[in-house]
Formats: sequence, structure tokens, C-alpha cells
Amino acid sequence: MAETTNSGPAPSAVIDLKSRLPYHIEGNGSEGRVERFLDAFAAVLEHTDYKPLLDSYCRTTNKCNRCSVTCPVYQVTGDPRDVPCYKTTLLLSIYQRYFTLGGWLNARFTPNRFELTEDVIAEMAEVFYRCTACRRCTQECPMGMDHGLITRLGRYILSLTGIAPKALQVSVREQLEGETHNTSKVPATAMLHTLEFLQEEFSDQFGIDLDVPVDKKNRDYVFFCAVSDYLMEPDTLLGNLAVLHAAGDWDRWTIGTGNFDGINYGLFYSDWHLERIIKQLVGEVDRLGGKNILIGECGHASRSAHDFVPVFGGAQTRPVVSFIEYTLDCLRRGKIKLNPDIITEKVTYHDPCNMSRGGWIVNQPREILKSFVKDYVEMTPHGRNNYCCGGGGGLVSIDEIHDFRMKVGGKTKADQIAATGAQICIAPCANCKKQLKELVEFYEIPCEVMGLHDLILKAIEIPGGKSAEERKEEAELYAM
Amino acid sequence: MQAWIDFAMGPLFAFSLGVMALGLLRHLVLQLDTLFRRKRSRLKYMPWNKMLHDSLEWALPVRHLTSGNVIFSNASFVFHIGAILVPLFYAGHIVLWEQWLGVKLWSIGNGFADVLTVITILAVLVLLVSRIAVPRLRAISRNSDVSLLVLILLPFISGFLAAHPAFNPLPWQTMFLIHLLSAEALLILVPFTKLSHIVLIFFDRISEIHWQLRPGAGDRVAETVLGKEAKV
Repeated sequence: MAETTNSGPAPSAVIDLKSRLPYHIEGNGSEGRVERFLDAFAAVLEHTDYKPLLDSYCRTTNKCNRCSVTCPVYQVTGDPRDVPCYKTTLLLSIYQRYFTLGGWLNARFTPNRFELTEDVIAEMAEVFYRCTACRRCTQECPMGMDHGLITRLGRYILSLTGIAPKALQVSVREQLEGETHNTSKVPATAMLHTLEFLQEEFSDQFGIDLDVPVDKKNRDYVFFCAVSDYLMEPDTLLGNLAVLHAAGDWDRWTIGTGNFDGINYGLFYSDWHLERIIKQLVGEVDRLGGKNILIGECGHASRSAHDFVPVFGGAQTRPVVSFIEYTLDCLRRGKIKLNPDIITEKVTYHDPCNMSRGGWIVNQPREILKSFVKDYVEMTPHGRNNYCCGGGGGLVSIDEIHDFRMKVGGKTKADQIAATGAQICIAPCANCKKQLKELVEFYEIPCEVMGLHDLILKAIEIPGGKSAEERKEEAELYAM
Repeated sequence: MQAWIDFAMGPLFAFSLGVMALGLLRHLVLQLDTLFRRKRSRLKYMPWNKMLHDSLEWALPVRHLTSGNVIFSNASFVFHIGAILVPLFYAGHIVLWEQWLGVKLWSIGNGFADVLTVITILAVLVLLVSRIAVPRLRAISRNSDVSLLVLILLPFISGFLAAHPAFNPLPWQTMFLIHLLSAEALLILVPFTKLSHIVLIFFDRISEIHWQLRPGAGDRVAETVLGKEAKV
């Protein structure tokens, strides 16, 4: 890019990003941040397909502000820097100024030209991570601009400059270059112990002894969930096991010990990580000779696999099936039975953005829920137009911004849940679950947050096992 | 003065129209090139349904007019009706299209054109005032967002005044020349400003395609920026 070197950025005071944004890391130090950002931007433009999109967006960005009314973050803060279009403009101005002829000419002849400074980089590092990448704004943009995509591109270039949230970076490093190949650093032996525990628990609840298929070859489904489920969400996994067992598909699936993590933080901030993690996942399925990729309850794991396995998976890609789709299929075929008299509480459903925004998984979970939940209530708005839990785009993993997630990002969602008066909120996503559990605690909303299969676990009838009624009585006795 | 008007209606008009057409064509070609050459072989899915659905929905954005920024959105919608109909179908313009493009369009009638023009001017004024007075709009508005609105006002106001001598404070020829020159300036600016959404709006909708990233690009970028044995 000749323009970059000719009209080099003006020097500016080095900003102490570390004290301003303590949750970010900077691997390459803070010297020459502006030059490094522009070099990274140039490399991205050279090797990727973003350029035509940026060209088009630079022209059409209309600044109509419709996006602001859709953004849960802006609605709470009212800060112009939180308007999605404003964030997009930050990156577009840099592109226009340093990588287009028009910008280069403009910089020569206008006095108030835009310059990339340390300040602008600090601002980007801050505002790009005040967005939950829920992409709700895209639906209200008359031009159809995808602010989520641009925010993500901004994060990608920042990460190449060494600026990325520590929580995400450390997890991805372990997943790609660590020994365990997963974000929570769970060794395969620990995962196997968890499976043993789940088997015992299943035996206690249903009176059925299971042997979870591990590393079996040539199965129809290879199962990946968010690895954190093994640590924090046993009921979701038990629900998954119950459906697989009840449906008679026990010999058709397996878990791989080489890689069992569906989490892909690359979706939030880096094309590089995204592709490598997808390839790692596909590699494990190849090793096992699996036919389909079955993704557990996790929004971004589902989307990253569903959308990017076809893109990065090479010539022989495999179908990606969400566990929700699988369960619905079993239900429709009559392979599983859900007792409609077990769940008496009022239940609502939270759409994880990564599943619902593109219109992929909207009606499936509702069909499942309505088949056995008597008192089902919708949030307003819901479905493709839902509000983010407030922890999307990787924010939920950053403990340092708990305050932001509670008071800003998740405020709208908390109001929504409270307005339904539901006692149970279903959120089939590891990220959403963590965020929503913290939210209902923070706002003291009398609502229990759980996964879809946690609820299915309570109501499922497995032939030869204890009935749902019996299990409910036992659970009540145990609780007393 | 008449010589200037002749020049503006003749060569200058042809030039402006040519710049606009070629500029828009360039946008169109570049975007189609991206779609069908650079990305096509790698596209795993093409969201035709969504594209069609979205384009139709925003062509008549009824659902979007009742919520969020209601005044601005409605003013913008009304403005587009006038901004498309009057330049194309006003009786005085039809002559031009027939002369330069050989296309004979229907006239919308002078009375209706007058009403539309006044409504359009009012709508632009609403947009202009909103941009300046509403803090959250001003915060993200660029100079060009405001100056383009002013520039759009000029041909509508001068055209209306030139057609209604009773309200016209200036000599007819002067007003008509202002009308011609401002309209031509606008035509020339179309491909270089946000007005190019005339063509590009269809391509902005397809971000699904741009989410289908180029395989191997991540590795190459990392190698360029961070070196060969780059670590996460």
C-alpha cells in the first residue's frame, strides 16, 4: 500500500493502554502501535476478501442512526460512541484515509483530515469490546450494513497489533497450542472422570447403566459441546445423554478424546484463530471417521461450526447438526417421549443471538418446549429480533467487565425476563447461561436459568428406566 | 445568460449524466466481480431468499417506520418518493430523457409534481434540522451528511421557483441556471458520495457472503504481520 508509507501517520503521545483497559494484553509492547495497526490492516486487505465490502460500506454508510435504537448497549448508556454506526465509522475512516486514493487526496487538500493516532486506537480497543456482536443493528440498517462483521474485523486487526482481551487470548492459546486442546484446560482424563460421574448420576436418576462411547470409529455423530459444560453444566449433558439413549441412538455417536471442545473464540475476534480451531475440530472428526458433527447447547459453537466448517473444512465437509435440531427430529419421529405433566412452572425462552439472528434456530426449540411445557411465555421481542443476553461476542469470558455486563449490556435482557414473570428461563447456550445466571442474581429476579436439555432431562421418559413422575418425587424428597 | 443555459442543458448535462452512469457502472462491475469471480468458487451458500426478502422489505419499509427515530425515518421515506419520482417523471424532465436517452417516460402531471416537490423539500428540511439539532444524530453525522442535504435542496427549490414565477424572487434565467447547475453537481457526485447507494444498496445486504472468509487467509496474514512461526 503505497499510500501508507507516503503519508505516514502523525506521531502522537503513547497512551498507557494497560492502565486504561487492564483486561487487554499487548504482546508486542506499546511502541509504534499506529504503524503496526496500519501494517496489520494492509496485510489483512492484501490476503482477505474484506476490501470490496469496505469499499461499499465507505460509500453507503448513511449515518441515519436507526441502529442506535436497536442496540441494547446504546439504549442504556446513550453514549454516541456506543452507536453501532459510530464504531463502524472508526474503522471505515482509517480504511478510507490510508488505503484509498480518495482518502489520500483528501488528506492532501483538506485541513481537518482524519489521522490515526494512539487515541483512536485506544478508543477502538475500548468501543469494539463494548459491543456484544449480537448483530441486532444489522436488521434495522436500511443499507443492510453488518456492524457485527466490521466490529469483528476491527478486533481482528487490533489482535494482530497485540491488543485483545486476556481471557480470550489465553483460552485460544491453550486450545490451539496447549496440551489439552481446549479452552478450559480440561485434560482428556478429567473429561473421562466427568463422564464417569455423569454415568453414575444417570444410573441414580434413571436406574439405567450407561457406557458413554468414547473414541469409537465411524459413528454417525461426533459430539462437541462447550468444554465448560463438563465443568459447570452436568444437567445439560445428562439431558443430552438421556435424549441419545431414549432415542435408541446409543451406538450411533461418540466423543473424541483428542478434541472435545466446540468453543471457538476466533468467531469473536480473529479469522486466524477461527480457521485453525475449525480445522482442529474437523481433524478430530476425520480421525474418528465420524459422519456428522453434533454440537451441544452453545450458541457460538453452533454458529462457528455450522457456518465455518463448510468454509474451512476442505473438500469433504461434514454436515453440522445442532443438538436442538437432533432432539426435535427425535421428537417428531416419536423416538423420544416427553411427559407433559412434569413441568408446571412458567417457562420462557431466550434466543442466543448466534443461533437465531440468521434465522437458523428459532422455531425448533419452541416446538420442543411447547410439546411438554404447559405454561410457556414469550419475551418481547423474541426470535430473530431478540435482545442479546449482554455477554455476547466473548464479553462473558472477561470477568473484569462484570459491571458493564450487568449494568449496561444485560440491563435490557434483565428487564425482559422480569417482564415475562417466568420461573424458568431456557437459554441453550453456555455463554448466555453464564451471563443470565449472573444477571438474575444481580437484579434479584426470581427466575431459574437453565439449558433446554436440563428441562428435557426432567420430563423425558426412557423405557425401562424410572418414570419422570418417580424422578420428580425423588428429587423433591432429596431437596427436603 | 442564455448561452450558459444552453451549455448547461447541452454538453454539461451529457457530461454529468455520463459521470454518474460510468461511476455507478464501475461500482456495479467491481461488486459483481467480487461476487462472481473472486468469491464465487469458494461460496458454499448464497442467501438468495434473504437478499430478495430484505430488498423488498426495505423497498417498502412499512414495518420500520413505526419504531425508532420515527420522525427521521418517515421523513427519509417520504423524501425518497419525491427524490425518485420528480427527477424522472416531471413533464419538463421527460423531454430531457427523450432527447438524451431516447426513452419516453410518462408524466406524473404538473400539479402532482408540485405537491411532491413541496413535500420533498419539507422532508429534507426535517432531515437537516434533525441532523443538526438531535444530539445523537449530530454526534455521528459527517460534514458531507449535512452538505449533501443542502445540495439536494437546491435543485428542488430552484426548480419549483423557476416553474412558479409568482414566487420567484430572481430573474427566471438565473433561477433556471441555478437549477441546472445544482442538479448536475448532484449527478456528478452520485458515484463519489453516499448517493451511490442507488446501486450499492443491493450489495451491502449480502454480508452472509462476506462471512464466508477466504480459507488460508488467516495464516498468510499472521505470517506477514507476526512472522513465520507466529504463535497465538
